[in-house]
Amino acid sequence: MENYKYLIIGGGAAGTSAAETIRQKDPVGEIAIISDEDHPLYSRVMLSKPNFFLGKIPFNQIWMKGKDWYDTNKIIFIGGRTVTALDTEKKIVTLDDSKQISYEKLLISTGVRTRPWNIPGSDKKGIYSLRTLEDGKAIMEAIKTAKKAVTIGGGFIGFEMADLMKLAGLETTMLLREDYFWQPTLDDKSGKMIEDALSKSGIKIMKNAEVTEVVGGENVEGVMLKDGTKIDCDMIITGIGVVPPNLDWLNVSRAPLGNSEPPKGTFDTSKAGIIANEYLETNIKDVWTAGDIAEYKDLLLEENIQLGNWVNAREQGRIAGLGMVGERTPFKFVSFYTTQGVGISIAFVGDSRPLPDRQIILRGSPETGSYERILVDTKGELVGATMINRTGEMSTISKLIENNVDITTHTTELSDPNFDLKQLLTK
Amino acid sequence: MSNTKEYARNKDGSNIAKIVVDRDLCIGAASCIAVSGATYELDNENKVVVTNANDVDDATLIMSAESCPTKAILLFDKEGKQVFPK
Repeated sequence: MENYKYLIIGGGAAGTSAAETIRQKDPVGEIAIISDEDHPLYSRVMLSKPNFFLGKIPFNQIWMKGKDWYDTNKIIFIGGRTVTALDTEKKIVTLDDSKQISYEKLLISTGVRTRPWNIPGSDKKGIYSLRTLEDGKAIMEAIKTAKKAVTIGGGFIGFEMADLMKLAGLETTMLLREDYFWQPTLDDKSGKMIEDALSKSGIKIMKNAEVTEVVGGENVEGVMLKDGTKIDCDMIITGIGVVPPNLDWLNVSRAPLGNSEPPKGTFDTSKAGIIANEYLETNIKDVWTAGDIAEYKDLLLEENIQLGNWVNAREQGRIAGLGMVGERTPFKFVSFYTTQGVGISIAFVGDSRPLPDRQIILRGSPETGSYERILVDTKGELVGATMINRTGEMSTISKLIENNVDITTHTTELSDPNFDLKQLLTK
Repeated sequence: MSNTKEYARNKDGSNIAKIVVDRDLCIGAASCIAVSGATYELDNENKVVVTNANDVDDATLIMSAESCPTKAILLFDKEGKQVFPK
């Protein structure tokens, strides 16, 4: 049986960052990465960016690590394989080709999958979601001949894909189930700024729109809405969230996902991921988790959260890697996510949920094209922000969150869009 | 002609003399900021700008460039040779 000191399940940003960190600290310990994709690390971020899709960025830019990187760093890449069983007592992983691998330290960084879209007709050809390189290639091929696209969902993917479809020359309709874009994380004013920018670029937006059926023959010919409206299209892109991958191999026969008190020896999971502490350690000895699948204890928010993006995955991989080589380090990081398109930039920093007991301070206004909402918790500390065309303040906001700066006496200054937030860092 | 911004670096003992940000490639993922917040910030167009080219050591600077998911950060040595991406 093959044995590795460090075994990593998942070859994306988190897993690769962990392997890189481990190798920096332990030059000799054997490392292997198991990936269900048969590619070295690529930039999942680039997949939804118009410049890449439209060929303005050479395709080869997608590769973040070449085969030589794995060879040079003595990292064994086992691609195109999935895990079918895990025995955490004997420390053995079984793959779908029946091969068994033993480990000393294990990292689970499988990532997540796109939420399946199950409505009548959703098995027709011409329906896409975006997660993997293969998904991206399929969409790139489809836009060469498609004329009319419908995007489903109002998150980052919906925003970026609608922009892309329009730039590719397709007549594009965006369908939102909500009253406005990104409800309820954004307020209606921020949502309207985004909708205005999308509309101005020629994208048609339909709100409170629920698709009841995909119509057509073998191929998509349109969608039928609940109110009876039919929209013609020859391709559909769904951006309706993510779900965990198949984790049956996590000995969950005894502990289904979401079991609040896992029986001894089984993983503590939520319905959305694997529970970890602030060191990204699971409840099982010598097993860590990182990236989109990890529901970790956030030290700044003091609660368990799950957050899927490139930067978070990379940082978590690094922290898990340090733990695996015995340099236990807490993960303390102000998460953020940004995007831009149709002439507008959008950013979320920290915890941007508008919980009822939170105070929201506004900076700028939709009229001036620059609008920010700063969220303050009951302790008077800044916990998060949403920004439209104000990404320039993201770093400062992150530092204010990280330093737990009490801003109760500064709310007037904060609501002045010309006040330099950096001044609060020195107080 | 790509839309780039150049930043000179003159840190003692450093082999890197210039940081270049390709603004067409930059998408504001901000992974570089996560690695080296002392070096970079975003502007209001969601593009990275260098605020201090001399603060961190070469290893950290290279790590920050490597972290970029669009390879928008290019590093050059004193002879003008590209150090990253290789």
